[in-house]
Amino acid sequence: MISREDTRRLLQAGLDASKADQTEVVLIGEDLSLTRFAESQIHQNLYRSDTMIHVRAIKEKRIGIASTGRLNTEAVAAAAREALAIAELVPADEDFASLPGKADFRELKTFYQSTAEFSPTQRAEVVGKLVKACAEHKLKTAGAYRNYVETVGVMNSLGVDSFNQSTRAELSATVVGDSGNSGWGIAYSRDTNAIDVGELTEVAIDKALRSVNPVKLESGQYTVILEPAAVGQLLLFLAFMGFGGKTFYQHRSFMAGKIGEQITGEKITIVEDPLNPEIAGTPFDYEGVPRQQVPLVERGVAKGVVYNSYYANLAGVKSTGHALPPDNSYGPYPKHMTMAGGEHTLKEMVAATERGVYITHFWYVNFLNPMQTMVTGTTRDGTFLIENGEITSAVENMRMSQSILEAFSNATMLSKQRKLYPQYSVVMLVPAMKVDNFNLEALEG
Amino acid sequence: MIDKIEKHSESILTYLAGKCEYADLRAEEISSERLSTSSRTTNPPEKSDSTGIAIRVLRNGSWGFAATSQVSEKNLKRMADLALEIAAASASVNSEKLELSELPAVTDEYSTPFEQDPFALSLSEKNDLLLGWEDLIYKTEGISSSSTFLDFRRIQKYFQATNGSKLRQTLMQCGAGVSCGMVMGHRERYERSFPTASGQFVTGGFEQIATFKIEENIERIASEALALKDAQECPSGEMTVILSPDLASLQIHESIGHPLELDRVFGSERNFSGTSFATPDKLGKLQYGSEIINLFSDPAFPGGLATYGYDDEGVKADRVPLLQKGVLVGYLSSRETAQRVGMASSAAARADGWGNVPLVRMTNLILEPGEQKFADMLSEVDEGIYIEGTSTWSIDDNREDFNLGGEVGWEIKGGKLGAMIKSPTYSGSTVDFWNKCDSVGHRDEWVLWGTPNCGKGEPGQNARTAQGAAYLRFRNVKVGA
Repeated sequence: MISREDTRRLLQAGLDASKADQTEVVLIGEDLSLTRFAESQIHQNLYRSDTMIHVRAIKEKRIGIASTGRLNTEAVAAAAREALAIAELVPADEDFASLPGKADFRELKTFYQSTAEFSPTQRAEVVGKLVKACAEHKLKTAGAYRNYVETVGVMNSLGVDSFNQSTRAELSATVVGDSGNSGWGIAYSRDTNAIDVGELTEVAIDKALRSVNPVKLESGQYTVILEPAAVGQLLLFLAFMGFGGKTFYQHRSFMAGKIGEQITGEKITIVEDPLNPEIAGTPFDYEGVPRQQVPLVERGVAKGVVYNSYYANLAGVKSTGHALPPDNSYGPYPKHMTMAGGEHTLKEMVAATERGVYITHFWYVNFLNPMQTMVTGTTRDGTFLIENGEITSAVENMRMSQSILEAFSNATMLSKQRKLYPQYSVVMLVPAMKVDNFNLEALEG
Repeated sequence: MIDKIEKHSESILTYLAGKCEYADLRAEEISSERLSTSSRTTNPPEKSDSTGIAIRVLRNGSWGFAATSQVSEKNLKRMADLALEIAAASASVNSEKLELSELPAVTDEYSTPFEQDPFALSLSEKNDLLLGWEDLIYKTEGISSSSTFLDFRRIQKYFQATNGSKLRQTLMQCGAGVSCGMVMGHRERYERSFPTASGQFVTGGFEQIATFKIEENIERIASEALALKDAQECPSGEMTVILSPDLASLQIHESIGHPLELDRVFGSERNFSGTSFATPDKLGKLQYGSEIINLFSDPAFPGGLATYGYDDEGVKADRVPLLQKGVLVGYLSSRETAQRVGMASSAAARADGWGNVPLVRMTNLILEPGEQKFADMLSEVDEGIYIEGTSTWSIDDNREDFNLGGEVGWEIKGGKLGAMIKSPTYSGSTVDFWNKCDSVGHRDEWVLWGTPNCGKGEPGQNARTAQGAAYLRFRNVKVGA
């Protein structure tokens, strides 16, 4: 884990060596400690420390980026010279206005020593407990326990000088029986001590035990109850398809031309909310711009998208602080989305369902038609039939082919309780959702 | 960096040999360069260097792994001790001790053969090539968005293990592609890509880019992108389907390659990438596909994106049959997984860079060419659909039920291509589907497609794989919704 002082020293070396009109130096470090298990055995167990420094140099609107993993001042200076050399070889980008200037940001508690110091032995103890609890029910488990320490430092020639260190802990586990019956759970926190291993174990075991003898349902439209993870997977794809300023500007987003219009159901409010205390997002983006709260959808009405400095300039607005790392060309992206909850408990939602399908989460979600927010994927690790307000049996996995906005339009109930759901480097705070007329097909396998 | 590591590796491995059953050390220097354009604007070119070392140990029958980008003698020792500590933690939970298949000690070097070093060419020369492709795209009036890219990677690896193996490799990889499209209103977007949606990737030098024939195909794909707005909706029903070679490659990747990864078969990916129906009890028995399907893994096959001398466990690249006359006869495997079925490793243990544990990954999967060229294949179809390009793919976590789609399709009537079809999709169940294959395309139309973005594992590892295929024809396939 690199210190603030060492980070500043390296970043400053890049600025000092640059003869560009404007220069930005970004350090991104990650220390990952991960224990992976399957068949109730630890089969992959690792520590990895990786740090990269990216230099972006601008000369007469020509932009070059060079990156190095060598953490010494000479290597960073060499990267700065290389970035400028690259910039001098390519045409000017007339749409580029400027790197962002210095701005204050609000500090949130993002770092927990408990996570940073969690040892391989401690992770093994957690896995051991999980294995033992499963064995008591003649079940086996597979999963991953990860603890991250992430460092981001940004300095630029306009005075930006930002540094943050954060931690993340994530435990996910699948519990499996002899007949292929399975249940799954996931827990996330910046503080590894806040991971509720007991609750996760209980939920995953309960689902695995209930998943025996699944019935096969016909293809058709069903009322479904989506657990928070399933809602989060749909929300993540919705964001891919339209909440970023680049796709919006290029008219490749379903949000393009729709701001102010009703695009989905009135129960749906989605906010990019890095300042939410439960999420505690990193306080600035990879350009050093403070991350802002951005309403994306309010009561079903399209409200806005997120920006980095480049696309904010094109759109004539201010950056919302959602730049990705300099070597990522995807454009700005919301990494801390929340969806407003409702008034109900999950139990009440099941009780209010005459006939429906209860879905734990999805697998291999992929686009079918991004402009129409159409995706496909299959259910996994805990799919159940609801009859007369009760879960009555397990259901064989099914394929959904569904417009996400249409599904959200058909949402009739949302849970009051929301859960943190991590996926890739995104963390979402999402409720469970009851949806009518959800397309499910019987699998052909 | 590698020379520096080699100086210290002997003493570290000697140190580890006294404390565990097996250990290996892997050092990598990865240089990358990516140039791209979006709608005639040059995106900032990116050049990157990543270096690091990894130590992997097997202690008391359990694995430990530690890696760092900060290469020094002190860190090498630190990673060695950490890997031992991690392995001990693994062993505290594990009731079973794992074993590895045999590995002879080898000292060798391997380098990708190439003529023109892509890193030696100026950026402006490469950027001009991309802007030239952009100009060609916009010769077709009506195109409103476009993108192009060139991607180069040089990977230098050093591997040394306690069994005495010492291996040096230098791999050179090149990729390129274009796409273009138009947006209609705020509801529809039509795109076509070439050579395929993610571009084409191979091992070799810059001379390979010209072999992709991008310039020759731009006008065609641009006019097809425009024509898609008036194309018919995809029909629904059972019919004969012909897949273009790039879509056939994706079909092989998803429904043959992944199911035959032996770690997945044994449940290693149960919590993430899933399992496989192709369990060892089916080996030698399962009629996976029709009798015309012959497929093998070959990381030594010239020019493939997954062509190398040795895998990341030091196993020599070699040809391993997977499907013979349609029957399941082999797996993609590592030393650990191969040992469990009494086979030799297929040299498929591959790590995404220095900082990851080797997993069983696809290599070059070669579907042996058949007898028919596309025109002959087409002439035998009274009614059906021809699908080209790749646009969507999804398959269940046991690798059986799949749904794939192309960028464009054409109806087939009376042995000829008819009207254009937008967003064509088809679905099926793996074994049933491959048994419906009644024609495998000819050698003259066969292409080894590179896939630069195959995801697997936690943390996510990106593998570069390849699948070789020509056109494929299947009967009685479910098409559309």
